[in-house]
Order: sequence, then structure tokens, then C-alpha cells
Amino acid sequence: MSLVHTRLLVLLALVVMLGSCKKEAPAPEDENELITTVRLKFTENGTTTAQTFTWKDLDGDGGTVPTISPISLRTSRTYKLEVEFLDESKTPAENKTSEILSEADEHLVVVTPSASSLFTYTATDKDSRNFPIGLTGTLVTGSASTGTLKVQLRHQPPVNGQPVKNGTVTPGSDDVNVTFPLTLAP
Amino acid sequence: MNKKKLLPYLIFPLYSVRPRRRWQYQFFAGWVLFLLFHFAYAQTPKDCHCLIKGVVKDRETRLPIVGAILRIEGTPLFTTTDTAGRYKISNICQGKYTLECRIVGYKVIKTSIVLEHSAEENLNLSEDEVHLQDVEIVARRLQTLLSQKSSLLEGQALELTRGETLGDALKRITGITTLQTGASISKPVIHGLHSNRVVIMNNGIRQEGQQWGSEHAPEIDPFIAKRLTVVKGAAGVRYGSDAIAGVILVEPDELPKSPQLSGEVNAAAFSNGRIGVVSGTLQGGLPQWKGWAWRIQGTLKNGGNIRTPDYFMANTGVRENNFSITTGYRNNRVGVEAFFSQFDSNIGIFSGSHIGSTSDLLKVIQNGEPFIKTGFTRNIERPNQFIRHNLLKGKAYYNFNGNRLSWTIGRQFNRRAEYDLHGPQAATNPALLFRITTLTSDLVLDHKPLGNGKMNGQLGLTGLYQYNFTDGRPLIPDFEQTNIGIFGLERWVFQRWELEAGARFDWRQLDVFRFVGTVPDPRHHSFNNGSGTVGVVHTPNEKLSFRANFGTAWRPPTPNELYSKGVHHGAASYEEGDETLRPEVAYNLIGSVEYTSQRFKGELGMYHNQISDFIYLKPQAEPILTIRGAFPYFKYTQTDATFTGFDLDTQWDVIPQRFSHNLKFSYLRAYDRREQGYLVLIPANRIENKLRWSFGKVFSSKDTYVILSHLWVDKQRRVPPKSDFMDSPSAYHLWNFNVGGALSLKGPSQLHWAFSVQNALNTSYRDYLNRFRYFATEQGRNISLKLRYTF
Repeated sequence: MSLVHTRLLVLLALVVMLGSCKKEAPAPEDENELITTVRLKFTENGTTTAQTFTWKDLDGDGGTVPTISPISLRTSRTYKLEVEFLDESKTPAENKTSEILSEADEHLVVVTPSASSLFTYTATDKDSRNFPIGLTGTLVTGSASTGTLKVQLRHQPPVNGQPVKNGTVTPGSDDVNVTFPLTLAP
Repeated sequence: MNKKKLLPYLIFPLYSVRPRRRWQYQFFAGWVLFLLFHFAYAQTPKDCHCLIKGVVKDRETRLPIVGAILRIEGTPLFTTTDTAGRYKISNICQGKYTLECRIVGYKVIKTSIVLEHSAEENLNLSEDEVHLQDVEIVARRLQTLLSQKSSLLEGQALELTRGETLGDALKRITGITTLQTGASISKPVIHGLHSNRVVIMNNGIRQEGQQWGSEHAPEIDPFIAKRLTVVKGAAGVRYGSDAIAGVILVEPDELPKSPQLSGEVNAAAFSNGRIGVVSGTLQGGLPQWKGWAWRIQGTLKNGGNIRTPDYFMANTGVRENNFSITTGYRNNRVGVEAFFSQFDSNIGIFSGSHIGSTSDLLKVIQNGEPFIKTGFTRNIERPNQFIRHNLLKGKAYYNFNGNRLSWTIGRQFNRRAEYDLHGPQAATNPALLFRITTLTSDLVLDHKPLGNGKMNGQLGLTGLYQYNFTDGRPLIPDFEQTNIGIFGLERWVFQRWELEAGARFDWRQLDVFRFVGTVPDPRHHSFNNGSGTVGVVHTPNEKLSFRANFGTAWRPPTPNELYSKGVHHGAASYEEGDETLRPEVAYNLIGSVEYTSQRFKGELGMYHNQISDFIYLKPQAEPILTIRGAFPYFKYTQTDATFTGFDLDTQWDVIPQRFSHNLKFSYLRAYDRREQGYLVLIPANRIENKLRWSFGKVFSSKDTYVILSHLWVDKQRRVPPKSDFMDSPSAYHLWNFNVGGALSLKGPSQLHWAFSVQNALNTSYRDYLNRFRYFATEQGRNISLKLRYTF
């Protein structure tokens, strides 16, 4: 076998060898950043009984429609509100609230009424730069009426290494944006 | 035959048949010559009105060679090339001749021609070297159909695009636009179609990545290419049935024949984004191993935040580290080549484009500019994409009795990691990770001319095997697919007519490893179909030629069209696949007229592409409610669509050698026939005017030129009502300016320089085909300097 033959063969063998490979088995996808559930816990000032309302979409985006429990509160009361975020698609369910708390400098929970007469919400928790986090706060209801309550989890990560969170809703993007029906009755 | 001898026989069965004769043409070395027409002489009554014409260029610089002498051996006929390197010899009798081209400083080229009416021979001369006086003649194979006019980007035109992305470079060709995701991600769009409908052949291998995604640009280092060729129109027969819109060929130079070391260094600096690009090529032969050659090439790119006329776009930096190595052996009977390339990039995604919900999107549109503006930085943060594409290619060919058998195999691995803004769980894991491996094999036989030399063509067998893994956020399931295709293409010549016809059949098996929750729910699809092409070229006289081609192509639905499910974040839409989709079929009619005179060249190309069962995202009546609010709901649906339009390209030498004008005009109308309406994301009509002054030698810079160009892009008015979150952007005007030339340095080395200003007036505008049009305006003025040193 001539030298040229040998060289050609070595070249070809090299290509074939480098080209061969091993394959793994397919696996289901796993989203590790999923939030399926928003849970609102209202405790009227001076009492210890909590009312809980949830917004749930256990199979993630699309598929089965979300289930939403309507909120009913009493008029002209002051409530302590605790907001929780969960991933209930996993067993056991993962509580995402602590994760948000650990990154409080780039998260903001905003609770907004459909009409300003429905309620006011004031966050009582603060992040390291003294901006509100909004996971816990005080909600003061107005007079008897119906409307909606919107909960937004704003993700406001630094841009170019500069923090952008400024206590307002504007910077960043929505991680959660859900709306509950709300009824206020005496 | 003993065992030792059997192995090469099996691998190169035809090659080993007559081993002694393979050295016979060993003395044939030199440079490559492309024959456009290579048909045998017809034994019909003699007609002495034949014509041969063409352009003579320097093979390295691609600049025209002035004053080269062309002579037809055995006749008194000769001519010299004009200032554009053009030549023409008329009144030749039909027959077989040898055309000789010579000029001092270059090697003499001789090529045999067969004249029946007129022929075109574009010659590339290479500079003379003492050791090599031999000449090799290589016929241009049926790489593209003659009846489908292909467009080229090479030489100086390609040089002016150095440092830009592949998509941006291709935009120079009439009828090609880009689908952008900001300034750093651009995908070529041919006549309104893109992604899976455009096949990109990277150095002879079908580029396979996640090309379905609008924000997934081709993973190719443009510096690999010495020439970019675009075939506009269905080219399914030769390049795979799914080439519904066309094919882009990215071709490197041939390996050098001379053992001498040569190479080039390219450097480009851009003011916008402060982008720096350096690319180098080194090539040579192996002195002890005759016939062997090698090349190494590498590119580094580093850029920071892009600036619009009014503000910086945060996190729009880019990094690229690419390299390729090639080695091969070649004599005139047999050749082998091995090629490996790696493309590695990290692209920042404009952080102002990250939206979580529809209300986020509406707010930023209302605001008219990003909420967060920053200064300049080179840091790339999340969201970003890490992409790596490895290509290993092997190629062998064997010439026998005028036939040529070639075999090309390739293995590609594409890893695309997309990082979202989120941490900390995903600090190391990307939100989306795609890994796709593709094995390809193409066996092509170019048969020798048949029927008195009037018919030539090729037969081919192609195979593709591919598997994909997706990890992270559910988007598309894992899949595996196999495709086998056979094809044949033939060309006949009669007087001033040329006919082409081809057919192909493909078998595709697709296995999708779908999961419902954690329970496997696999699916199997099988798609088989044929495609064909017929074409004609008529050259009534030396100035005029007509081409017409009718081609069909079909494209099976891709896994994302069948099974995708989820929110498309940048587009604020919920997209869902449909597993009952059928393949789409295109019927493509193209016609073109070309007129060439001494000072004017014009080409009008018209097309009508009718696509049955065209797959697109159709808006649904009800939105999808998610934890991030309601998203508009889109479902992959089929319709019947037509794409009709024309491209006009003219070149007028107002003052020969001094001043010329170039016009490019493209018009496209896309229509949805079932819905009786327009289609979304169709490029707007545009006109480009270019004035070019050539000054020849200015100080020590030769071939000095100044180019002033103006591009007008219309507003896309043909959009379906309520199809978008905002109205399609207004029409815009862009002014660009280029000045450049070349300096001769010591010995054969040269330094080419080009200074450019893009968007010279710093116009603030948005383009309908940029996915970031909602979030920011296009990039502002960009001043660049490009240097190319060859040795």
C-alpha cells in the first residue's frame, strides 16, 4: 500500500472516528422556574383567624384553565396581607416565597385595586436598600363594592451591574401578574 | 487480492481500478477555472456567428484584470479585456477551441470551449509563481441551476461586509432581507421566507441547528466564506426538499495548490458597540507531500452595547471565537479533504426586551423607549445565549472517464444555551438548552456529457440522521429524524436554448419523544414526497438572455410546528403546535430577463411562489390566561399562500471607468388565499440607489473608490388587521458612505482598506422585521474601518 494510500486512509478514519458518538435517552423537560400558585392570606387586625384565597394553574401555561378563588373581605377593615408563591406541580410543592425573599433587592410585589376606592395596600417589609418588598403588608378596605385585586411580582434585576429597583412598579418585568375578583361587604 | 490491498479498494472502489494511470495528470497543478458552459461540439451546419464573452479576475483579490490577452488557438481571433476585466470575441464559427488567456505577472490559462452559439467564460487568474506553470482546468459542476439566476457576493462587495453577521452581509443582494432580533442576531430572508424554508449550505454541508427559531441566527463565521451565493426560488431538487425559498451557499476558497505559505489578516473596527473583529487565515502545502495542502483560520469578535441615535441598548454585547482547519490531498483524478470548524458565541439579549406579560409589552410600546437606559459596557449579562456549533466534514472525489463521483460526509453538533434573567436555581443551568447532532452523507455522480455532448447532469443519494435534546423550560420535545433523498438533474443544449429538468424523492421518518407530565407519550411521523424542476434558458443574442424555471418543493412540518407549547417571551404570545399538520408544498415560477451592453447591465427577476398548506401562526379568538396574565394565543395552522414579486438590478456606467450608478428595487406581495388577507412579517418594498466614483491611483492607494448609497424602505402596509401590538413602523431613509482602496506593499503583499459610515445621518427608525421594534429603535450611526492584508 503506497504512502499516499495510507495517508488518505488515516485521514478518512480520523473523520469517521471523530464523527461517531454516543447518545443518551430522552427525558421529560423540567422547568425549575415555574410558579403555579399565588396564595393570599388575610388576617384582620386584632384577630388570629386567617382567610386564604388562591390563584392556581397547576399544569403551567396553557392546558387546563386556572382556578381562581374570589376574594371576599369586610368593608372598612384593616388586614394584614401575606403573599405566597408556590410551585405545586412538583411533589412536594416548592415554596418560592423564601427564594424571592433571598433576592428581595430585585423583587417587588405590587397589589393594585381596579378602583382606588376599593382598598389601599402598604408594604411593611423592606429590602436591604430600604425599598418595599411587598410580600407582607397592610391592606385597608373601603366601602361596600365589587372589583378586582391584581397581584404582580415584578422582577427588577440589575442592568449592567447597576440596581434598578426603585420602589415603583416601572422597572423590570412581570414574573406573576394575576387578577382576583374582589367583593367588599359589611 | 490480499487483505492489505482490499481495504482501499473497498473505500475507493473506482479509484483503485486503474491505479497506474492516476499519476498521469499529476503535472496538472495551478489554479481553478470555472467553466459555465461545457458542452460538446454539435455536428450541425456551421454557423459563424458564435460569441464568447466573460470577465477575467484576479483569483485572490477578485478585482478585474485589465489588458489580459485572450486568444483562440488556431484562429487569428483575439481580444483584450477592458477596464472592467470584460472581454468578448464574436464571429467565431461553431466548433471546439482552446481559449488562451495571458498577461504578464499571471499564469497562462488554457481552456477548451465548445461553441454552439454563445458561451460565457469567467476566468480567474492567479499570480505567477516560478515553480508552477501547469494549469488545471476544472469544470463548474451543476451546483446551481442555470435557469434559476443565482446572485453572488464576492471580492470587494464581500470585503465591505467583513465584520458583519452573515445575515447582514447577504442583505447586499437584491431580494434578500433579514429577520432581526436586535443588531446582533440576523437571519436571512429570501423573498419573504426564512428559517426552515431557507437551506444554508456551509462548505457543502447543510447547516442544521435550531433554525426554526426567529431569534436563532445561522451559526457560521462569515470569514470562512470567499464567496456567498444565493439561489432565490425553490431549489429543492439539489439541496433538500425543504429549500422552498432558496439556498445560500457559503463557500470557502479551494485549498492552495502552491506549497508556498500565504494568507491574509482581516481587521475591522466599528464605532457602534465598539466592536472589534480580527480574522486570520494561513495556508500552504507540505513540501514533502506533493498534492497535500492545509489551511487554518480563526476569528475573534468582541463588542459591547449598541447605541441607537438616542440611547444605549443595555446588554447587547457580543463575543465570538471561531476557528477552522482544513487539510486535503488532490490530484486531477482523486481528492480528499477533511474540515473542522467551531463557531462559539455569547450574545447578550437586550435587557429592555425582556417582558413577563402582555401588559409589560404594552407599557414599553406606549413609553416609546426602554424604561432602563444605561451607558456603554462590554459585559454580557443575562439574558444571553451561548451557542457552539462544531462541524466535522470529510469529502472525497474521484474522476473517471469524464465522470466524477463525490462523497461528502458531515457531523454537526449544535449546542444552544439560552439564559433567562432568572437565578439563583438556574445560576448554572440555562433556562433552555438545545443539543442537536446531525449526520449527513451525500453521494453525487456527475456523469460525463452524453448524446454528442449535449446533455450533462448528475445523480445523487443523500442521507441525514438527526437527534435533538431539549432541557429546561418545555418548548419542543426531544426528537430523532432520518431523511433519505434521491435526485437526478439533467441539462440539454440546443442552439440558443438550454433545458434543465430534475426530480427528487424524499423519505422522512420522525420520532418525537413526547412526555405528558412524566409519562412518555411518543409519536411517530412519516413523510414521503417528490419534487421536481424544469427550466429553460434562451439567449437570442449576445446582449439578451431569458430564463424561466418552474420548481416544486415540499417541507414536512418541523417538531416545533407539531409540538411546541408555551409562551414565546420576546413575542408576548402563547404558541401551540398541531400534530396533525401536513407537509406544505410550494409551486414556484421564476422568470428573468438579463440585458448586457457595453455600459449598461440590467436584470429583472420575477417570481410567483404558491405554497399550499403553508404553515404559520394563526391568532386565536380567545387569549390564554397564565400566571403572568393573559397572552394572545397563536396556533400553528395551514393556509394557502402566495408570494409574488420582482427584483430589479441595474448597473449603468455613466462615465466608463469613473462613475457608475446601481439600482436595486425589490417588490413583494404576500397573500393568504384562504383567509383573503395578508400575511404577517413580510419585508416591506425597498429601493436602493448607489453611486460609485473610481479614482484609480490616489497617492499610493490604487483602485480608490467612493460609494454613496441611499436605501428607502417603505412602510409595510399589507398587514392583517389587529395582528400586532403596534402599527407597522413608518418608511425610512438610510444613507451610507464608503471609501476604500488598496496599497501595494513589499512583494506580493497588499493592504486593502475601507472606511464606511452606515446610517450616516444617525436616523432614528424601526424596521418591521426586527423583533425588537417594540422596545427600541434601530442602531444609530456606525463608523467602521476595515483592513485586509494579504501575503
